[in-house]
Amino acid sequence: MTTTTAPPRPSPASSKTAPRRGRRLRQGPAYVFLTPWILGVVLLTLVPMAVSLYLSFTDYNLFDAPQWVGLRNYTDMFTADPRYWRSVGTTLLFVVVAVPLKLALALGVALLLSRARRAKGFYRSAFYAPSLLGASMSIALVWRALYNDGGTVDEVLSSVGIHLGGWVADPSLAVFVVALLSVWQFGAPMVIFLAGLQQIPTDLHEAAELDGAGPWRRFLSVTLPMLSPVLFFNLVLETIQSFQVFTPAFAISGGKGGPADSTMFYTLYLYERGFSASHMGYASAMAWVLLLAIGAVTLVLFKTSRSWVFYAHEGA
Amino acid sequence: MTRPGYDRRRTSAIAVALSLLLAILTGCSGSDAASTKAGGRVTLTFAWWGNEDRAQRTKEAVGLFEKRHPGVTVRTSFAGYEAYVQKLATQAAGGDLPDVTQLDYRQISQYAGSGTLLDLGPYIKDGTLRTADFDKGLTGTGAYEGKRYAFPMGRGSTGFAYDAAVFKKAGVAPPQPGWTWDDWVEAGRRISALGLKGPNGRDYTGLTDIGVNEDAFENWLRGRNKKLYATQHQLGFTVADLTDFWTFTDTLRQQGVVSQAKDTAQISGAVEDTPMGRGLAATDFNWDGPFLGYPPLLGENVHLAPVPTTDGRAGQYFKPTMLVGAGVDTQHPKEAAQLIDFLLNDPDAGKILGVSRSTPPNRKIAQAISGGLEGPEKEVYDYGRKIAAYGTKAPPMAPPRGDVVLQVSFTRTYQQVIYGMQSPREAAEEFVAEAKRELR
Repeated sequence: MTTTTAPPRPSPASSKTAPRRGRRLRQGPAYVFLTPWILGVVLLTLVPMAVSLYLSFTDYNLFDAPQWVGLRNYTDMFTADPRYWRSVGTTLLFVVVAVPLKLALALGVALLLSRARRAKGFYRSAFYAPSLLGASMSIALVWRALYNDGGTVDEVLSSVGIHLGGWVADPSLAVFVVALLSVWQFGAPMVIFLAGLQQIPTDLHEAAELDGAGPWRRFLSVTLPMLSPVLFFNLVLETIQSFQVFTPAFAISGGKGGPADSTMFYTLYLYERGFSASHMGYASAMAWVLLLAIGAVTLVLFKTSRSWVFYAHEGA
Repeated sequence: MTRPGYDRRRTSAIAVALSLLLAILTGCSGSDAASTKAGGRVTLTFAWWGNEDRAQRTKEAVGLFEKRHPGVTVRTSFAGYEAYVQKLATQAAGGDLPDVTQLDYRQISQYAGSGTLLDLGPYIKDGTLRTADFDKGLTGTGAYEGKRYAFPMGRGSTGFAYDAAVFKKAGVAPPQPGWTWDDWVEAGRRISALGLKGPNGRDYTGLTDIGVNEDAFENWLRGRNKKLYATQHQLGFTVADLTDFWTFTDTLRQQGVVSQAKDTAQISGAVEDTPMGRGLAATDFNWDGPFLGYPPLLGENVHLAPVPTTDGRAGQYFKPTMLVGAGVDTQHPKEAAQLIDFLLNDPDAGKILGVSRSTPPNRKIAQAISGGLEGPEKEVYDYGRKIAAYGTKAPPMAPPRGDVVLQVSFTRTYQQVIYGMQSPREAAEEFVAEAKRELR
């Protein structure tokens, strides 16, 4: 598969390994070493998940003992709470806008960088930097300032005659401020795309070129199909992450999901129900629905992948 | 059959792993316990919400308390109202309420009802907490089911901060007790008609949009002989009442009499974020305590007027601006009670705290500090006396538990109206439906 000319590294698994029998014996210390991790998973993930499943069937306000209410949280959510459905709509809009834009940008930059001759390392770090910075609160605040009334974006657009005012205070634009912040952090998928691009055998490109294919044709017929497993991986990952968008929305709207609930994403509403309104039961129910919904979306993505993801070893 | 060498390796590996694990586990514990009683000293925690001015004064008073009680250290913390309320709920759930805690009137039912507050009765009985000089009108607040859990820290009422210079320019007489909502609208109309400009050339409006403010709605309702809550589980108004109120304010917005949607949406509880505080409006609805925040921003022209009436029927009332109680799990209830008593009854503390939490509930202290007040502080004090003399109706019952949430929802639901996403009636229906779920 690989086209590198480096000598093959000796596999660590060869020759000098301990006899088979030693393997089982060594499991004792292995588990002891794993204990911190196992404790972490059980105490910090599995137990809280079980508790949250239980709480989702209760009315729990943090102050008094949880009271069993059966499916009421779920029926309220689906039938009586218009804000819940608005948060679903906002989140879907965000996913549909942010994920394709982010992947397209990541792929575009990766294509450019894979051809760069000089200062490769510098450019890669530079384009990756937003992903490191972007997770921080301070960037979200800078972002808010950029898109505020009289902020940089407002000034620049006004100077070319587009008077939109501050995006942050406009319910129809606020969601895009958050989406752009997310798109800007395209570093992680970009790096994966870069790695994927390096894997495409150059002889395929050369053969296509000999057949008279132009750059666009080669991109569509060679690069994209060969890259489709990587694209699929990034798509699944980014979709899951986008459904859970929280920090940028929290910071940009000051934790309120405003104006007028326009940036009240699913997780933000979940947080608001749980920690501001003290409806931990309702929030837990929301969390479980989100988990199932993300699972379902991922499943659908996997189903569709059969028709468009091309694994090289299957063909030829 | 095992090789001895391997066995030894295995044993030592387990030993290393175990010791690492132990190190991790011990590292996790033991840091907390030491903090409350170091070297025989008592450390109290004390938390409140408020602005910088209140924080300065409170810290100074706490410093004096520490000087008077050499064995006691007080660790203080404060935050903005919204963040504070949120953090406190989490702390209460974890049984980790600060030893001395400032509470909102809205929180009393919930906190006392769920057993997170200390019953202060014993400390009143043994004389640690003195109540003899307290304002009689306030003694009922802070009690829950016959037990006393908190004390009011101030007595306040609502009002309208207004810029007298702008009023004069528009030829509007300064508001007097008994002025009506119609007068209020008329003042706003005339000021907006001046065509003044705020920062960045933005339009300057006469009034702040009060449609976001649940307290303003309550005052308006009471002027019409209705109330916010009928019982702990029922609203005291209908969809039609709220539709009327939001239609009233939203129409004024469309006419340019009250602040624009994007400025109204920025109102957060801090004076700096209000349209008036940002130099975009001439009046603002607020409590008399926070009124102190306006003059530093806008100058000495800012004064405080009573809430408009409906045909002379006033809707405003006195309530405890905030209360102070103790966490039920405090290790030092005696010292906590001493600190509460000090904040409420000590003349020197009273002098330092001034009217930063509105008129002090201890009458002697209120009397004592009134002579030394000047400027806006004197105005807040005089305002309290003026409203008391003018007469207000009895305050409503303590708000039900759900009100903490509904106050926020009120603001957010009205935002749907001012951004044109819902009609006043649709929004009112949504709010009332949510309120019913919240109060059940």
